Amino acid sequence: MNTPITASPELGSQLITLCAAVMLVLQFLLVVQRMLLTNIRLFALQSLMLSAIATIVAAFYHASHVYVVAGLTLVGKVFFLPWLLNRLVRRINITQEIEPLLNAPTSMLACGGLTLLGYIVARPFTTLQKLGNNTLAIAITLLLTGFFLMINRRKAISQVLALLTVENGVMLAAVALTTYGMPLVVELGIFFDVMVAVMVLGILVYRIRESFASMDTSKLTQLRG
Amino acid sequence: MPPGFPLMSAIFINVGLILFLVGTVSSLVLQRRGNLAVAFAFGCSGLAALCGLTAFITFLVAGFSRPIPAYELFPSLVPNVHFSVRIDALGAFFGMIVSLLGVALSVYSFGYAKAFVGRKNVGILGAFFNTLLLATTLVFLADNAFFFLIAWEIMALSAYCLVSFEHEHDETRSAGVLYFIMSHIGTGCLILGFLLLFQASQSYGFETFHALGDRMPPAKRDAAFLLFLFGFGVKAGIVPLHTWLPAAHPVAPSNVSALMSGVIIKTGIYGLTRVSFDFLGAPPNWWGVTVLTIGTISAVLGVLYALMEHDLKRLLAYHSIENIGIILMGLGAALMFLHTHHPVLAALALSAGLYHTINHAVFKALLFLGAGAVLHATHTRNMEEMGGLAKRMPKTALFFLIGAVAISALPPLNGFVSEWLTYQSLLQGFGTTPSLIRLMFPLSGAMLALTGALAAACFVKAFGITFLAQARSQHARDAHEAPFSMLLGQGILTAVCLLLGLFPVQFLTLLDPVTKQLTGEVLSSKLTAGSAWVLSGTAPQGGTVSTLGITLIALCLSSIPVALWWLFARRSRKRIDATWACGQPILQPQMEYTATGFSKPIRMIFKALFRPHREVQREYDYSPYFTTTIRFSAHVEEVFETRIYRPFRRWVWWISRRMRALQAGSIQAYLIYIFLTLLLLLFFAL
Amino acid sequence: MNLHPLAILLQTGLLLALAPFVSGVIKNWKAKLQNRRGPPIWQPYLDLIKFLGKDVVISEHASWVFSIAPYVVFLTALSAGLMVPILTVQAPLSLFGGALALIGLLALGRFFLALGGLDPASAFGGMGSSREMTISAIAEPALMLAIFTVAITAGTTDLSRVAAALHEANWQLLNPAHLMAFAALFIVLLAETGRVPIDNPATHLELTMIHEAMLLEYSGRLLAFMEWGASIKQLVLMSILVNLFLPGTLAADGTVAAFGLAFLIFVLKLLGLSAAVVVVETVNAKLRLFRVPDLLSAAFVLAALGLLSTFLFQ
Repeated sequence: MNTPITASPELGSQLITLCAAVMLVLQFLLVVQRMLLTNIRLFALQSLMLSAIATIVAAFYHASHVYVVAGLTLVGKVFFLPWLLNRLVRRINITQEIEPLLNAPTSMLACGGLTLLGYIVARPFTTLQKLGNNTLAIAITLLLTGFFLMINRRKAISQVLALLTVENGVMLAAVALTTYGMPLVVELGIFFDVMVAVMVLGILVYRIRESFASMDTSKLTQLRG
Repeated sequence: MPPGFPLMSAIFINVGLILFLVGTVSSLVLQRRGNLAVAFAFGCSGLAALCGLTAFITFLVAGFSRPIPAYELFPSLVPNVHFSVRIDALGAFFGMIVSLLGVALSVYSFGYAKAFVGRKNVGILGAFFNTLLLATTLVFLADNAFFFLIAWEIMALSAYCLVSFEHEHDETRSAGVLYFIMSHIGTGCLILGFLLLFQASQSYGFETFHALGDRMPPAKRDAAFLLFLFGFGVKAGIVPLHTWLPAAHPVAPSNVSALMSGVIIKTGIYGLTRVSFDFLGAPPNWWGVTVLTIGTISAVLGVLYALMEHDLKRLLAYHSIENIGIILMGLGAALMFLHTHHPVLAALALSAGLYHTINHAVFKALLFLGAGAVLHATHTRNMEEMGGLAKRMPKTALFFLIGAVAISALPPLNGFVSEWLTYQSLLQGFGTTPSLIRLMFPLSGAMLALTGALAAACFVKAFGITFLAQARSQHARDAHEAPFSMLLGQGILTAVCLLLGLFPVQFLTLLDPVTKQLTGEVLSSKLTAGSAWVLSGTAPQGGTVSTLGITLIALCLSSIPVALWWLFARRSRKRIDATWACGQPILQPQMEYTATGFSKPIRMIFKALFRPHREVQREYDYSPYFTTTIRFSAHVEEVFETRIYRPFRRWVWWISRRMRALQAGSIQAYLIYIFLTLLLLLFFAL
Repeated sequence: MNLHPLAILLQTGLLLALAPFVSGVIKNWKAKLQNRRGPPIWQPYLDLIKFLGKDVVISEHASWVFSIAPYVVFLTALSAGLMVPILTVQAPLSLFGGALALIGLLALGRFFLALGGLDPASAFGGMGSSREMTISAIAEPALMLAIFTVAITAGTTDLSRVAAALHEANWQLLNPAHLMAFAALFIVLLAETGRVPIDNPATHLELTMIHEAMLLEYSGRLLAFMEWGASIKQLVLMSILVNLFLPGTLAADGTVAAFGLAFLIFVLKLLGLSAAVVVVETVNAKLRLFRVPDLLSAAFVLAALGLLSTFLFQ
């Protein structure tokens, strides 16, 4: 597992940078897009980029357990979770997000500011000589913008998607930055954690819809005593 | 350098100043004989400005980067106050601007003031015009703080008198008072700033203030900078201190508006440049960042509010705010480059800012003169009542069009050249520092692009609604071309616009002494790419531009349409017919697009800033389907007026009312106050 | 860097000849994608010849500005085109101006186009002018930021030097900064050439027109030059996109065969970009006017992200 890098690091670094940049752009698109089905597809594409990054890291470090992580991400977050969410959205029959808190240009500017913040936070760490060390800024940005997305949207499904993009950011940091990827046990743990969370949230969303005839989470304030 | 040169220059300047005084006095004396007063007043001012122009241009051409020593204008009776002037590169540059405008405006005023003869006292107009030019020239030449402030005050007072010239309108009176108050608030800050400088240097002369900032403690130096920024900023009209500009500039007579927008607000720029580059050298980074930010905000807000106006002169006044913002962007960038020790880039940014100063003076004066001609012909400033003037006033329309193309920063005119230089300095600024501050440069560049495009939109509206299409009122239908002297004044400024646009490399040699004095670098040799007709941006392998080249190529390419006409279109005819009116028999002027309608998309896009408000009232006789009268009103909220100035005014009133309790009216109370103060001073002295 | 008169003539001829071709291709392919036959690719050429020969009808309210506007639009687009590297990396007029002068020239053309719309005193022209100036104002910051990003990585605003820098470094294809600048410039291209989703170039309803509304009163040779100028502007912007971001332009010297090959590659790149434009036009619906700023601010943020990427990935 500790074999050195054999193929050209330049190309690998370029590819990882490219995929990370696409993930960032997709995150921005998620912030402004209001159709829920499109949002789910964007999330699936983002997870595809993540598994591509994992594959590249595995290929360059000859670390086979990272292949497992890539495969799990592919199966779970690119196919299974989007399918689950799709089914949920179709059953509930709500396809569009209502007016978010901030309008589109303002939320994009806010996310631009968060990207800058992510870059500032990540700067002390970028002196590490590691493949993909320039993606820490993207990972932190995904985290921050995912949180922003959760605050900005009111429908529960969008908030679930936002949580999943936060998790994407954490995964990106874990895969691309830690020494030859994290131990397999930890990665599997996080992964199944997220799976279970999403399934529980799916049921919860259905329940909310049944009780309030709407997925608007601000209606939960009616539950006050 | 011929030995008699300083003497010659001094003689020219003295002659000029004396001519201004002659103009003032003679105009006052000849008040009753209107035409004679006009001739004397504006003749003297024109000649004086010509003397000044000669003196300043020869000074700059000779490349004097060291100032000509100071000399006393006239001995003063007050000890410690010397009325001494000196000519240095920066002062000469601004003096050149005021003289150039003086010449063109004097020529224009011959025809313009004739319209006032008989109605109003043109002697006063001529007298104060001369005084204003005199005071402004002295501001640029003053050698010590006292003389500077005296000249500054005279300038402010003359401007106030001129703004209130048509004081029979309420609007004019309140605008004049607002101008007066704001000007004095600024002057107060200036006095405090100069006192801080005096404290550090123990003298009032500008010579001793040079590079004073190194010897001052940082807190005092920063405080001085902020005071000067505020004081000169009020005069220059930066946001949020700009509220007097759109009030005062429209109501003044048009030649005065041109002078105010062209030169008086540039005295603020002169002061700021003098203070930050000359007096307080070695600036910390936040000075440059502040000035750059203020510049960007002023530019964007100025042009946005200009788009909402349908009063032609108010629109031009808001554009002055925008262009001051652009000048400040260049100056702010220069300060930042000085801090990071890039003197060549600092000289580039400074040149861009100063070039834009003279460009703006010329094309803004041109536009105001054009607006004055339109006002003279149609007796209204409201664009919604104009239209079709291009056919009735063709020469004025052509001059106004050239001014509009220049101010929208379109090639090949001068606005484009100075904005090109600003973009180049911002672009190269990105590589000067590794910190995140460097992001400000491209973002300011993007905002500069936004203001340029919005300015173009605004001038399509201004020129299109005023001059094109059909006349919208009887006034516009009766319009006639302006008299010859007004056309000549506009023509002079148009020619200067063209010269400044097509020959920038030659003009930049005039700026060499200024940049040498302020940043130590001489730029003109670095700004030519091997040929005298091509301007480059000092970066190795950087971009180049040649407005003359583009014009010549375009002229050559125009042979293609000619050739195609000869090949295909010789036999076709030209027919004049009616515009399609959707089936209506005649096209009414009410069917045309209005100024308010033209800017509606911008109003809607930026409605968070403007908060537009509109009201429609209908009256009907016996059924709401048959309306007899419709009243429509729409307005845009003036954010600074309602959010900053009005609460501030209320707070000041509130405090004053509380203080009124002190004035009890009884003698006992006043005696107690005096006694308490005496006791306090005794305790303090112990 | 000096001027070669032969290069100027060659590039002028190329711009004049290819511009209607690109318009024709886009119209034809859009029709084919909508299951129609569509006008033949040579139709714009035939239209131009027809317009040149027809009579000119001028409104009684219009002034001389109306008559010179088409020539200004035509000449500014052509002069701007001479500053773009098309077949060779060295554009003929790169000494006289780069990216900033190009943007300025196109803005000058747009200024006179808008004035020409206002002159005949018709409400439709005024509406078109108002909307056109608004949209171009909102698109300018995105355009300038994208140009800045590219200029920063190349160190200059001279388009020839930018293309040369690209020619040397093959990694630039994968550089995220360049990809995001490309995406932002693509959206700005759609805005400047009046394509769906910003404007519908094939509409016949005046209330939905932006560019077409300003041309309503033009006829004869004036209309010919207006249309030709608009298609040259479209070609210039598309050439910037394909030649600054994708390799394939020649170095300064070369044989006739090499020129032929470069021409072929250029036409292929143009056809590829046209296909992308056609797909975007067919898949999307025209946006409401007040939704266009949302799209253009997305382009602005993309360009800003591209700028950030120049040092985000050190």
